[in-house]
Amino acid sequence: MPGQPLQPFAPPNMILGNLPGGLTSGMLITWGWYAVCAFWVVYTLVAIYHWIKYSHASWVMVPAIALHLLVSSSLIVYAFTGIWYL
Amino acid sequence: MKEFELEPGEFVVEQLRKHWLLFVGELLPFAILAALPFAIPKLLPLAPPLASFSVYFDYSTAGGRVLLGIWLLVTWTSAWGAFTRYFLNVWVLTSQRIVNIKQRQFFSRAVSSLFLSRVQDVTTTVEGVLSSFLNIGDIKVQSAGEEIEFVMRGIPRPESMRDLILKYVPEEDEQKPADRQ
Repeated sequence: MPGQPLQPFAPPNMILGNLPGGLTSGMLITWGWYAVCAFWVVYTLVAIYHWIKYSHASWVMVPAIALHLLVSSSLIVYAFTGIWYL
Repeated sequence: MKEFELEPGEFVVEQLRKHWLLFVGELLPFAILAALPFAIPKLLPLAPPLASFSVYFDYSTAGGRVLLGIWLLVTWTSAWGAFTRYFLNVWVLTSQRIVNIKQRQFFSRAVSSLFLSRVQDVTTTVEGVLSSFLNIGDIKVQSAGEEIEFVMRGIPRPESMRDLILKYVPEEDEQKPADRQ
């Protein structure tokens, strides 16, 4: 709901109700988030390496990389606002 | 060109990729995946036994926001990777050869050359209503001797490309003695 403060995360009991001791759904999501961030960094670096090495200095290279970084950073900021409240 | 060195006097005539419309078709699964988190909460109430599950797709919660962000980030990154692979798959026609650069996935790249003096046959195929309207088709280039076959699928204006290839195929008396075996 736009304009309303974020609600505390209430996970569905049937999915996250029986976590091992000490592990909360918030921790699970946070660590999942870190894993996705690590994947994103590695994938992006590998792709940029390929662009630089094999695109033959095409004019498409810079806009393609810039667009990826722009869209990704928007999504990362969006997801991070959720992490902040977990 | 980093993958291959141009010979003295050799120049690049054309670089060719798959038709962009076919790439847009490849993006469709990613578009569906991106739309799923927004479509599911609207679709679930239409099936009463599943309607109660729609509360799990509440993106006003912190966890919902993180999960949505993760979903969209993975989908976007995968789609961008698909574009990277699309762009790096290219045919290069030079004045002396055809170079087929295949980027199957990251760190898996094959570069093969076929000298135009070895070309025996160039076949174009345009099949289907949409392909005929948009003039999208395949080109198969066969070489003499070693029976190497270069195939590029879904390229725009295949007939023009065939004519361009044939334009640079040297006549018999122009070929080097070594090629005339």
